[in-house]
Amino acid sequence: MQSILEGFAAAFRLIVTGNPELWRIILLSLEVSGTALILATVLGLPVGACLAMRRVPVKGLVISLLNTGMGLPPVAAGLFLYLFLSRSGPLGFMGLLYTPTAMIIVQCILAFPIVASLSHAAIANVDPVIRQAAVTLGATPIQESLAVVKEARYSIMAGVMAGLGRVMAEVGAIIIVGGNIAGYTRVMTTTIALETDKGNFELAIALGIILLTISFSITVALRFFQRLGRTGTSAASWA
Amino acid sequence: MKIMVDIKKRLWSGRRVFRLEVAFASDKDFVVLFGPSGVGKSLTLQTIAGLTTPDEGRIVVGERTLFDSSRKIRVPARHRNVGYVFQDYALFPHLTVAQNVSFGLKQGWPWYLPRGERLRLDEALEIFELTPLKYSLPRDLSGGQRQRVALARALIRRPSLLLLDEPFSSLDALLRVKMRQELLKLKERFTIPVILITHDPQDVAALAETVVVYEHGRVSKIISPPKHDYPVRERPSLSSWAANLCA
Repeated sequence: MQSILEGFAAAFRLIVTGNPELWRIILLSLEVSGTALILATVLGLPVGACLAMRRVPVKGLVISLLNTGMGLPPVAAGLFLYLFLSRSGPLGFMGLLYTPTAMIIVQCILAFPIVASLSHAAIANVDPVIRQAAVTLGATPIQESLAVVKEARYSIMAGVMAGLGRVMAEVGAIIIVGGNIAGYTRVMTTTIALETDKGNFELAIALGIILLTISFSITVALRFFQRLGRTGTSAASWA
Repeated sequence: MKIMVDIKKRLWSGRRVFRLEVAFASDKDFVVLFGPSGVGKSLTLQTIAGLTTPDEGRIVVGERTLFDSSRKIRVPARHRNVGYVFQDYALFPHLTVAQNVSFGLKQGWPWYLPRGERLRLDEALEIFELTPLKYSLPRDLSGGQRQRVALARALIRRPSLLLLDEPFSSLDALLRVKMRQELLKLKERFTIPVILITHDPQDVAALAETVVVYEHGRVSKIISPPKHDYPVRERPSLSSWAANLCA
């Protein structure tokens, strides 16, 4: 009990005094997960939109694959990417293993199915009559798709937030392809794992608290977007 | 304006087949498709708007052939210039009244309208008494207001034909009477031919210049109501005449 309290006290001291090591780890975490999420959205949203609105030959199979991908164990994703990126692997010549780029790629792979699948669900949920209305009002296929995506925008944002929640909390994949190199590929979750192993609890607890705070913010944002999606407007419904 | 529809379409639902085989023509400006639910009235309207493609046949509006299977003509829905008011209005739920109405206008950057288009929007909002509701969302509107938005959105593009799918079904009886009058005024104002779907004999009595009666995916009769010179409001005899159509 004593050691836990001491650990928390030291952790708060670290957070308040703004330890540079701590900040570097936090910033790298946000950078890696943020970039991965942006990439996953850029790739996943069009895929989800196409699945929801166009005729795709093997639609059922693709959706099943995406849903499987949502539950893909991060360590497995890490392992496969490791095999591809390692020196003897097919992409070994790029020298990406143990770099932040590799971490971004693996997190993108993890977030992509979530973003694609949830935006597919969000867009498929839009009343099909909306599309017909857009067409009779002279919308081109692109304008038609945009109108539908705009209708689903808040639910899509909720999907993106869910993706962020997954990659922020994830440790298995980035520790395999990132290697947890101090000052280079060490992020919040991998640091917690390492420092706990070493019995070095202050930094681990400090990062744990920050990670929880970030998760909490993501949840709040998620609720905000879901609420917007239901009610459709911002100001009026919050009053 | 001359309207000619002669189409065939089959729809499967499991093992059940629905066959739509209708043909009608009219040179009147107010055509009413009349019949119970599930006989293919809405499907006919969708084929005219280009939302559904018939298996074969021909659709001509005015001088323009919109669909002709033998000549392989199929004008895409967005080029048909047909105004469509859906049964539940199909307003864009996350767009304001003004954004809904201006959807079919030429758009610049998101929700920025070129000046000419903005004038048209203001004019339409004025005509349909929507100016005070400009920034409201559809869910905050009453049924009658929603219908005005749907009409404004369809008519602002100056379509060559207006299609109405059971426009009065979700309105209460009093409002229905009022909206029928409004619709007739609009038709005059925009000089636009109208095809309307209904299963209410009152609508037929008040509005129809040509009645196309549907039965099980076929047209059972096409009738022009007796000539009348007095205001629509005072046509009680016609409503009993229309009620006979159901029998």
